[in-house]
Amino acid sequence: MEALDSRDEVVVVERHRLLCSHDGKSWLENRIRENSLTHLVIAACSPRDREQIFMEACGRAGLNPHLFQLANVREHCAWTTDRKEEATEKAIRMTRIAIARVRYQAPLEKKEIEVNPDVLVVGGGVAGLRACATLASQLRKVFLVESTDRLGGMIARFEKAFPDMRDVKSYLENLVNDVRSNPRIEVMTEAKVERIIGFFGNFEIVVRKGGSDSGATELRVGAVILATGASLADPKGIEGFDLCAVPDVFTALEFEDMNRRGCIVCRNGSPPKSVAIIHCIGREEKGYCSGICCMYSLKFSRYLTDKISSVQVTHLYRDMCVPGRFYQDYFEESLGDRVKIVRHRKSRVTEKEGRPIVLYEDVNGRENALAVDMVILAPAMEPADGSRRIAEVAGIPLDKEGFILERHPKLATESSGKDGIYIAGCAQEPKSIEESVIQAEAVAGKIMASLVPGRKIEPEVRISTIADSFCQGCGSCVAVCPYGAVSLDERRKVAVVNEVICRGCGNCAAACPSGAASIRHYTRSQMYQEIMEAVR
Amino acid sequence: MISLDRLRVAALVSDGNDVKEMIVSLLGKALREGVFDAVLVPLVAPGQDSYDYVLVGNPSLLKGANPIPPVVPVSGGRALMSLARRGTGDMRIAAVMRPCEIRAAIELAKLGQVDLKGITLIGMDCPGALPLQDFVKSPEDGEEKFKTVLRSFDDDGVRPVCKMCRSSATLFGDLHFGFVGLEDRSCFLMSQTTKGNDVLDRMSLGTGVDASAWARGIEGLSARREAGRTETLGELSERVVGTEKLLRAFGDCINCHNCMRVCPICYCRVCGFDSQRGGHPAVDYFQRAQSKGSLRLPADTMLFHLGRMAHMSLSCVSCGACEDACPASIPIAQIFSLVGDRAQRAFDYFPGSSVDDAIPLLVFREEEFEGDDENG
Repeated sequence: MEALDSRDEVVVVERHRLLCSHDGKSWLENRIRENSLTHLVIAACSPRDREQIFMEACGRAGLNPHLFQLANVREHCAWTTDRKEEATEKAIRMTRIAIARVRYQAPLEKKEIEVNPDVLVVGGGVAGLRACATLASQLRKVFLVESTDRLGGMIARFEKAFPDMRDVKSYLENLVNDVRSNPRIEVMTEAKVERIIGFFGNFEIVVRKGGSDSGATELRVGAVILATGASLADPKGIEGFDLCAVPDVFTALEFEDMNRRGCIVCRNGSPPKSVAIIHCIGREEKGYCSGICCMYSLKFSRYLTDKISSVQVTHLYRDMCVPGRFYQDYFEESLGDRVKIVRHRKSRVTEKEGRPIVLYEDVNGRENALAVDMVILAPAMEPADGSRRIAEVAGIPLDKEGFILERHPKLATESSGKDGIYIAGCAQEPKSIEESVIQAEAVAGKIMASLVPGRKIEPEVRISTIADSFCQGCGSCVAVCPYGAVSLDERRKVAVVNEVICRGCGNCAAACPSGAASIRHYTRSQMYQEIMEAVR
Repeated sequence: MISLDRLRVAALVSDGNDVKEMIVSLLGKALREGVFDAVLVPLVAPGQDSYDYVLVGNPSLLKGANPIPPVVPVSGGRALMSLARRGTGDMRIAAVMRPCEIRAAIELAKLGQVDLKGITLIGMDCPGALPLQDFVKSPEDGEEKFKTVLRSFDDDGVRPVCKMCRSSATLFGDLHFGFVGLEDRSCFLMSQTTKGNDVLDRMSLGTGVDASAWARGIEGLSARREAGRTETLGELSERVVGTEKLLRAFGDCINCHNCMRVCPICYCRVCGFDSQRGGHPAVDYFQRAQSKGSLRLPADTMLFHLGRMAHMSLSCVSCGACEDACPASIPIAQIFSLVGDRAQRAFDYFPGSSVDDAIPLLVFREEEFEGDDENG
C-alpha cells in the first residue's frame, strides 16, 4: 500500500478483505462518493469473474465504469508462484500499470437497445415448419426462408411415417396450411439468406428471392433457427454401388417417390416379386450410423407387403439399429414369411441378363448371390447442400462431415457455435421426424424464454472506431472482421463500423496499417502508458 | 521451364528497329486504332536526364517514350495508384512497366488502391535497372551503359536487387514483350488473359507462334538470378540477422522516410510515423533515456523500419525503389527482400502473381503453420 500511496495523483489507497461481497460493494460505493473519485483501480482477482460487478458498483456511485481498471493480482501474481516476495513485487507493478492506464481512459456512455423478438427460420422442412408454428402460436413474428419453391422438405416425399405408420401427407398438409395461413409467419420460397450479421437479440439479415437479379429483402430479427435439413449420400461415390448400368435399383428417396405415386413397378412395368433392401450403405466411408435407415427400410417392407401380395423382401443389414420403446416391436412385427433379414459384411450390386444381382459376403465369410427384381439402397444421410453455405453466411462452425456443430453435444444441442443462432432437425445430424419436431419445439421454447419482448440489451461500447482522415480504404479491416461489422463506403473509399454489430475484438485495429482503426478503451495512448509502466 | 500452354504468342515483325522502338511503335498503332484511349509509359524528362511516367493520349507524343528506361525513379505501381485508385471510368489505358512494377500494381489492386478494370498491364523481359544515384551523376554515361545491359542481359552494373530478381522475365499482367534468346530485332508479344487476348485480336496480331526459343532463353537468365539471390541473401543474412546486426545495418538511417514515400506498396494516407500521433511527452523520452542510458533522437527510427517490414513483407515485390531513394546507401531493398522472402515462403505466397491470390493476412486458413516450420 505504501508503494502505491506515493504515486502521483493517487488520492487514497485502501484495503478490503472481500470487496465483491454485498458489504464490500456498498463500502466501495461509499468510498467512491466520499473521496469524489474520478478514477478507480482495484487490485483483485480476474476481470472475468469480477469486472462486471465492480463496474456496476462504479455506476451506482456515479463514476463512469470505464474510468475503472482492474489489476488481476490473483491469477497473474499470487497463483503463479510460491515466492511471495516476487509475487508482491509483481502485484505492485501490475497495479502501477493499471494506475498509469486508468488516467488515459475515457468515460464511455452505455447504450441500450431493445431486443428484437422476431425470428428467422431457414429451411421449410418439418423442423423449420414446426418451429415457425410454435413461435407464431405465441404471437411471435417469424420469417421462413426456403430455397425451393415448396414447403415440406424431405418428408413431403413420404407416404407414411414409422413407427405408427401415420399418414405423413395429411400431417404435413395441415402443418403447411397452418404456416401459410398464419399472418405472423412471412414465408419466402425460392429465397436464399445472403447475410447474417449481428448477435443475439439483434441480427441484420439479407434475403434474396429468386434469381440474383431480383431485389434483396433486409430483415431484422433477434434469433435465427437453421433447419437446412439433410440429403442422402450419392451411392455412386461408394465402392460397389456405381450403378449406372444396373436397372431397377433405387435409392430410398427414389423408392419413396415411386411408392407415393402409387405404382411400385420394375422397368418392365410389373410389380417386383423379390426385393432386396441394402442397409448401411456408406456407413463405413462416413464413419457414422445415420440411425434412421433401419427403421425406414423396415417401413419399406411394410409398403411392399401391403401393396404386393406375392412379394419377398430381403433386408441385408450389418447392425440393426432399432432403439427406444417402440422400435423393437416395429422391427419384430415387420418380419415374417415374406420379409427376411440377413446379416452381412459387405455387398455390391451388379447385373445379369437385365436383372439386378446382389453379391454379398455373409457373417461366416461366404460369398452369396441374390438375384431379385428390385434393389432399394439405404445410403448414409449427409448434410444438405445449403448447410455449408448458410454456415459460411452465419459464420458458424460445422463438424467434419458438414453438419452444423452444436455448442455442446449434451448440454446445448440446440445452439450453434454462435449466440442466438439455433439448429433444428437434420441440419445437426440425421434424425427421425419426431426427433426433428422435438428439437424444433425445444428451440422455439428456448427462444421464447430468452428473447423476451421489451428486454433491453446493451451493445458493447468498447468497440472499434475508424478515423476517416487516416483510412485509405484498403479493406483489410473488412476482410478480418469476424462479425461483418465493418464495410467499405465505396463512394468515399473509407471503412465504416456498424456500432451495434461491432464487438470490439480488435482484429481491425491489428490489421489496419494506417492506424485508422482503433478500439475504444484500448487506445494507443492507453496501451503505450501500460507498456511504459510495465518496462519502467 | 516456363509453361507456354496457356500463352497466346504473336511474333512482331521487325522493320529494322530495336526492341524498344518496336514496342513504342506498337503502342502508337494501338492508340491510333483506338485499342487504348491512353498509354501510361516512361518518357524521357525534359532535361534529358531522367524519366517520368506520362499518360499519353496522342500517339505523336510517344516520341520520347522509353518502355525500358535505364532507371526507375518512380515505381509504375505508384504512378498507376495516383491515376486509377478510383478506376478509369470508360477509359482503356495501357500501362507499360517492368515486371516488378506490374506485381506492385497487382498487390495494390488487392488492397483496393488501384482499380485494374480499365487497365491493361504490359510488361517485358527486364534486364534490370541501373542504380538511380549512379545515373543522376552522369545520365549520358548511364544511357550508354544501359545500352550494353539491354543488349547483353549480363547484369553488369545493374542494381543488386535486380541481380537477384525472381520476376524479370515472367508474365504477370495481361501482355508481355519477350525477346531474350531471340535473334536481334525480333520480339514476341504474349498474352495470358482475356484482356490481353482482346488486344491481340483487335490489333489483328496472328498468334500460335512457338515461343520455346524465348522460354529457353529466359531459363538461363532465371537460373543465374536465382543463384545470385541465394548468394546475396546468404551473405546479407550474415550481416543483418539478429538485433545487434540489424541495428548496425540501419545505424546510418537519417530518418528521412524516403523509402516509405517511394514504396509502391506503402499506401497509407498518412504514415503513422509521420503523424503527430507518433509523438510522446518529453518526459517519456527522458524516462526511456534514463532506463537505457541514452536515447537516439529522433526516436523510433528502427521501429519505423520494423513497422514497415511488418506491413510490407508479405507484399514486397523487391522492386528496389527504397534502395534507390535511400540517401544513406542502406541496402534496404535487399534487407526487405530477405525478410519478404521468408514471410512469403511461410505462407506459400508470391506477391503480385495474380489478383485472385489473396494476401495471407486477409484470409484465415485453419491448417496454416501446422507441422514443421522451416522458418523457425
